[in-house]
Amino acid sequence: MNNPLITTVLSCFLYSSFAFGQSAPLAIGWANVDITPDKPVLLAGQFYARVSEGVMDPITATALAISTRNDGGAEENIIMISVDVVGISDGMRDGANLRDATRKLVIEALPELSPEKIIINATHTHAAPLVASLKPIEEIYGFPMEQLSPDKEVMPPADYLEELSETLAKAAIEAWQNKKPSGISFGLSHAVVGRNRLQAKNEGNSTMYGNTNDPNFSHIEGYEDHALNLIFTWNKEEELKGILINIPAPSQVSEHSFELSADFWHETRIRIKKEFGEQVHLFPQVSAAGDLSPHVMIDGKAEERMQRLMGWEELGTGRNSMAQRHQIANRITEGIASIFPVMQKNIDFAPVVLHQAKVLELPRRLLGEEDVKTAQQEAKEWGEKYQAVKDLLIDDPEMIHNPRWYRDATTSFSRMRRGTVVEERYELEKTNPTLPVEIHALRIGEIAMVTNPFELYLDYGMRMKARSPAVQTFVAQLTGAGSYLPTRRSIAGGAYGAVPASTLIGPEGGDMLVEESLNLIHTLFDKNE
Amino acid sequence: MPLQSVKLSIKLIFWLFLFGSTLNHSLAEPPVLGKLYVGKASADITPELPVALMGQFYLRIAEQVDTPLLANVLAISTLEQEKEISSVIFVACDLIFVPDILREELVTALKGAAPEIDSNRVILTATHTHTAPVLEDDPERSSFIYPIPKEEVVPVKAYRELFVRQVVPAIKEAYANMQPAKVSWATQRTAIGHNRRVSYADGTTQMYGNAAKDNFRELEGYEDHDLQSLFFWNAKGELIAICALVACPAQVLEHLSSVNADYWHHVREKAKAKFGEQVLVLGWIGASGDLSPRPIYRKKASERMLKLSGYTLEEAIAEKVVSTLSTSLETVKKDTYESLALAHSLVPLSLTKRKIKEDEYLEAKTNVENLEKEMSEKPETTANLYARKTWNASVVERYKEQQAGSQNGFESFMHIVRLGDIAICTNQFELFTDYGIQIQARSPALQTFVIQVAGSGSYLPTITAIDRGGYSAVIQSSVVGAEGGQELVNETVNRINAFWDGE
Repeated sequence: MNNPLITTVLSCFLYSSFAFGQSAPLAIGWANVDITPDKPVLLAGQFYARVSEGVMDPITATALAISTRNDGGAEENIIMISVDVVGISDGMRDGANLRDATRKLVIEALPELSPEKIIINATHTHAAPLVASLKPIEEIYGFPMEQLSPDKEVMPPADYLEELSETLAKAAIEAWQNKKPSGISFGLSHAVVGRNRLQAKNEGNSTMYGNTNDPNFSHIEGYEDHALNLIFTWNKEEELKGILINIPAPSQVSEHSFELSADFWHETRIRIKKEFGEQVHLFPQVSAAGDLSPHVMIDGKAEERMQRLMGWEELGTGRNSMAQRHQIANRITEGIASIFPVMQKNIDFAPVVLHQAKVLELPRRLLGEEDVKTAQQEAKEWGEKYQAVKDLLIDDPEMIHNPRWYRDATTSFSRMRRGTVVEERYELEKTNPTLPVEIHALRIGEIAMVTNPFELYLDYGMRMKARSPAVQTFVAQLTGAGSYLPTRRSIAGGAYGAVPASTLIGPEGGDMLVEESLNLIHTLFDKNE
Repeated sequence: MPLQSVKLSIKLIFWLFLFGSTLNHSLAEPPVLGKLYVGKASADITPELPVALMGQFYLRIAEQVDTPLLANVLAISTLEQEKEISSVIFVACDLIFVPDILREELVTALKGAAPEIDSNRVILTATHTHTAPVLEDDPERSSFIYPIPKEEVVPVKAYRELFVRQVVPAIKEAYANMQPAKVSWATQRTAIGHNRRVSYADGTTQMYGNAAKDNFRELEGYEDHDLQSLFFWNAKGELIAICALVACPAQVLEHLSSVNADYWHHVREKAKAKFGEQVLVLGWIGASGDLSPRPIYRKKASERMLKLSGYTLEEAIAEKVVSTLSTSLETVKKDTYESLALAHSLVPLSLTKRKIKEDEYLEAKTNVENLEKEMSEKPETTANLYARKTWNASVVERYKEQQAGSQNGFESFMHIVRLGDIAICTNQFELFTDYGIQIQARSPALQTFVIQVAGSGSYLPTITAIDRGGYSAVIQSSVVGAEGGQELVNETVNRINAFWDGE
């Protein structure tokens, strides 16, 4: 480690089990579960509350169990679970901890596993239940549930979280029990899905989802990555059993939906099964893409025409449309199909599998008094708007029966809270300057996979990939609660995603995350080369 | 590729020659509906051997032809009651760029051979292959001069003569054989070009820098992954031509010492196999001065995939391009137009020149002196160093002009075309992606094709790139800087807007 600061601030728990050398045959198991709630829930992902109004398509979770005995006799057992939710609560905020609740249940059933061997990631769909908080709804959105949904019973987030952890554990156990001798192949393809969503203006400031048709538009602030990192798993008869798809694009085409939805992964699952067989499981992972989204920033009209001509007019075209979801599903499927013949011919039945997990103490993004003042001012302005609605409710209590009456009001509350949280963080930093963050590194043959809990800006992921000793490196974000981790250039631009209220960790922590992720990867590769 | 610095006086003469009688042509002709006619032809512009190649500082003499070089010609016009309303002729060339002298010689020959053709409507574009012949040898008009042996190698002028000899008849043929046609346009997202400017923690950028260094922080700019296309059918419904715009210069093989059309050769071959022998492909390069076809990071994974697939990189790119074109074709083939608006304008530009700082001048001057000394002491280094010397010497000359108070703008030009719902605009530069994105974002057209290197190539970097430095953004690489770049964008958008006025 080159940075003495990193050395001094780092305190980590290191738990690992690995051995080096050639491995025994690989065993892989898959399971898929429906996690769609059967009652209305609060959907997560926007400032405003959304009480779900139905199901657009099922949300699911997929578990992938990997087991091998490496040369030297040490077993390596991993279960990964991909979940159609916006983030995986991990105890860092508001008491919710989906990750540990699930781990606990799995370990009870499978004592041969240890908690850190279970890695859970989110697809970041913005149309799935809230699992980030156990606080009373009034503390999250400013109004009690009885006011948000006076006519329909809504499942409290705590209840759904408990139910979800049980379902995820069930999937993990099932995948574990389904393990059979298997092989893997891996490849790199391309699909244009994620678009950098930050527009820099001539004056130097940036906005998220700004207008590019503007003489002041200078450039797209950051980079994009259109890589499709793929792992295929095969049974011993060389039949395809599943595909892990790692793509730098959060699934948030339908991010404003009031209906539950897995977003573009739903259409992708259907297309993949149609193309490669009903038996094929699909495991989505989001690579570092904190500054990316699927929304088109340029050439929207041309893209919409293409969607229309592709026959999706009746589904709706353009931004946030079903046509866009279908289009993305097509691109991903075509990207997979383009390398599939090569993947079929290059299956490894005995790759080395090694894993390490580590808890980093990342330095919090240090806030200044100016940050607090700005946030306080914003909190004051939003608080006044929130209070105005509260006053209105006293005069007109029946307004709560109007559909979605709470949309603007809950936005005001959330933004007010966002401002006050900055002040709380400012005080917290004085006594607690670091934040513990769990990361994982996994080696499967020549592949490295490294995880983090953030909405990690793309540049950090690129740095990991550029410097990794592996032939191909998968960076998986959102294996935790999620929080933007912006770059210096983005902080200079000041767009949403880079402002203090959006971030717990700043570039100093980002740099440390890069170094520590690479260190962890190196421990899995260097001694064995 | 380095810049072409043209002495003002000579350039003015050229502009008078080329546009003098037709400056009114720069006024936007109104887009009027007409029946579409299209003609095509292809010219073989493969050089005789041995021939000097353009694109690297060091001299390369090719003694082998890997693939033919082509100039594919597409003539488009609209007619109303058999009278031509508007026309335009695209000539897509397997060249590094289209220097002024080549254009002048072509225009002169064309005026003599085909006076019925308005040479102002001939749009010459280049694929930017670095394995095509050197086109300039006049130190008064170019900053990049090679010490080409006079005896054993095909003279530069002789190659230009071959080009003119081959291309003029092709233009005539395409214009003469125009037939009723239909057109459609498409865009598909596909990842081809890679940003090649690698930025480090100290705020500097290096072109093709090492991204595996600890201090690597980001790729400096964006990429454009739209593959835009035009499809043309004849009256029988047969596909006859495709114009494909890829925001990635054709320089996979830029270090070869053989004649090669780079990935466009494979695109053409695969397109013929897929769409029919009769299909002519015009390869256009979108704004991508900061992009290249080679990955900057993730190299091991990319190389492995090529090895497993059995493709070379240029073949893999071609496969991607043709596969994308195929999807586009299937999508838009039922949305065709045989009567549509066609309008063209040729717009002279005078762009603000990039100001040379004193330290930049002094550095260039020192470089010239050091290079001259080295070549004098070691004559065998001349083949490798001479172009670098002229490249630096051009800065010295430009600085002297600047200090003498010559504040004339950089004379350039652009073509603007409206074809139905789409706009096509050209510029002579290796235009950094951000400018092309700005034009596309602000254009009123459904799709906007920004074609770069449709003239003498020269980098046009962004303000960020200039701040961070590195080849392609240093003073030697560009005569026009960010101020001129913004002028180019604004004027392009204004001219496109004029074609959509009132819509």
